[in-house]
Amino acid sequence: MKLNPLTINKLRRFKSIRRGYYSFIVLVIMIGVALGTELLVNHRALIVHYNGQYYFPTYGRMLSGVTFGFDYEYETNYRKLACQFEKTPECGNWVLLPIVPYNPYENDFKEGLYPPYPPSFQDRHFFGVDIVGRDVVARLVYGFRIAIFFSLLLLVANYTVGISIGSAMGYWGGKFDLFFQRIIEIWSNVPFLYVIIIIASIVTPSFFVLILIMAFFGWIGITWTIRTITYKEKEREYVLAAKALGASDIRIIFKHIIPNTMAVIVTFAPFAISGGIIALTSLDYLGFGLPPPTPSWGELLQQGWANMDAWWISGSVITAMVVTLMTVTFVGEAVREAFDPKLYTFYE
Amino acid sequence: MTAYFIRRCLLIIPTFIGITIMVFTITRFVPGGPIERMIAQAQQNRMGQTGVSGTSPSDDQRQPLSEDQILELKKYYGFDKPIIVSYFLWLSKVLRGDLGVSTRYYDPVWQIIRERIPISLYFGLLSMILVYSVCIPLGISKALKHKCAYDNITSVILFIGYAIPGWVVGIMILVLFASYWDIFPLGGMVSDDFDDLSRIAQLGDIIWHTLLPLSAYMVGLFTVMTFLMKNTLMENLSSDYVRTAIAKGLSFKQAVFRHALRNSLIPIATNFGNNISVILTGSFLIEKVFNIDGMGLLGYESVVDRDYPVVMGILVISSLLFMIGNILSDICVAIVDPRVQFK
Repeated sequence: MKLNPLTINKLRRFKSIRRGYYSFIVLVIMIGVALGTELLVNHRALIVHYNGQYYFPTYGRMLSGVTFGFDYEYETNYRKLACQFEKTPECGNWVLLPIVPYNPYENDFKEGLYPPYPPSFQDRHFFGVDIVGRDVVARLVYGFRIAIFFSLLLLVANYTVGISIGSAMGYWGGKFDLFFQRIIEIWSNVPFLYVIIIIASIVTPSFFVLILIMAFFGWIGITWTIRTITYKEKEREYVLAAKALGASDIRIIFKHIIPNTMAVIVTFAPFAISGGIIALTSLDYLGFGLPPPTPSWGELLQQGWANMDAWWISGSVITAMVVTLMTVTFVGEAVREAFDPKLYTFYE
Repeated sequence: MTAYFIRRCLLIIPTFIGITIMVFTITRFVPGGPIERMIAQAQQNRMGQTGVSGTSPSDDQRQPLSEDQILELKKYYGFDKPIIVSYFLWLSKVLRGDLGVSTRYYDPVWQIIRERIPISLYFGLLSMILVYSVCIPLGISKALKHKCAYDNITSVILFIGYAIPGWVVGIMILVLFASYWDIFPLGGMVSDDFDDLSRIAQLGDIIWHTLLPLSAYMVGLFTVMTFLMKNTLMENLSSDYVRTAIAKGLSFKQAVFRHALRNSLIPIATNFGNNISVILTGSFLIEKVFNIDGMGLLGYESVVDRDYPVVMGILVISSLLFMIGNILSDICVAIVDPRVQFK
């Protein structure tokens, strides 16, 4: 791929902003880990060595207890299996469990005690257990995966709608522009969280329905920005030249104007991602987001707020949120600085 | 210029109608309105009665209200008419200053809202004053020390504050200061024994209850305002007239405070208009976290409980404030910056 020298320059500037560049690396690693999180946080074992045979239960069909000599048909409890194998080391069987051997849905109760339980390294509940006995680390990690992909998809949806309407408004102007301006004014005044709460109380939103509802209200910001830029770009000579050469409107918009608005689009993206995470967390906190028992940060925050003595719940969610949102914001700030052609002169 | 603002003010009308008609229509299609709640209540009452008297449950237990009663209720709430008709009935009442009666408390909506306004206004104004009085000096000092250690460290702190939403900060400080260390109260505006306290103790009690929510309110605004101040001042510092001022022999301090700073305050001043609606409506998430009975929490609760007259009443007030705030900030721009021409 051949890059525009201007783009290379911007990339170099982005790399030179240390805070943002390292945050970007951290963020990419976090997303990568989230993708393969089944290997780190899962109730299924990574490798089982049983009677001379190797099993890799992580992905694929579930292995029933009968496979490993239990008397039940449902899925094997690998933690019990590990205990059993440890008692009889002479058989040569062994189990390799993930770092956190719990999935985000299962309840792990202790006899005679009510959850939440504080963090315990012995049980491998590193951040403790929530109020219904689910592992907090597992909830956090799977919640992060849902939240980050939710906001990435929301971003794509918002930008697709926003960029097409925005550039059309800016390019054609006139009545079309005026009409959409009024619609946007109305749309941006409707308290969208209220409307989502109302809709969410009728239908229990699934992942994609929620994205659809949010995108229904989320396209406004980027539309407005793109409209303004398109207005400016339209008056530039290169558009006139393209028009004189006989390029169609669609070609001018897609081949000439949108590439020139790319800087702005890229600049806003990280902030849109953190906005998406916050919006999903707020809705989940209020109980109008993804239906339980979907692992989510908002739900954990709600638990932490209602059970303040269980400091490990609120503490771990807030730490996770701070780290994630901070890296995203730092990336955003660095992107903005790298794409901003203005370099301040300042006095020593 | 005057013509421009008159036109802007006139444009409020269609926008206002658009907003209210949209929310009004949505509220009509949502199940769980006042009539359904009444039916459920009647059912509960009957269950309670039969439990006490010990008679066998009657056949029509499924529907405690008769058809006529339901029709009458529908008439009372105006559900018997088509949406557009009842919308205009509602609008004409609003124009006469009547926001209707809450279906939850059976009090006039305006009275309920009026009780909550001072609370939100208290937090809004206080946080606004504090934000402006801290952010302007902070922004100036950051601009003057651009890229120094001081600037970088404060930037990192400000970004953390910007990245995390205020209500999450609220939960964090609640868990830390109210639960773990037990220094501050868990929420609310005053203590239970507020009326028995002396004047000074009452004041102290309010401040004690205010500190945590106030910091949660300020977190988000803080960063935006500081960076607005810093960036505009930096822009002005790098412009030609400051160089000229220094070249003709003004000290750097004089150049900053006499020339650059004045121009940098323009965006800060114009930002104020946008904050008007924030002052009054507050943030319902923060109010929910701290259990403060402000406008935000009222709006949230009325949506959850399907108290639509209150929802619409708050919508009327907040949308009007928002639009007036926008126009006001444009007027501010025109006043402080004579170069700006609106057409």
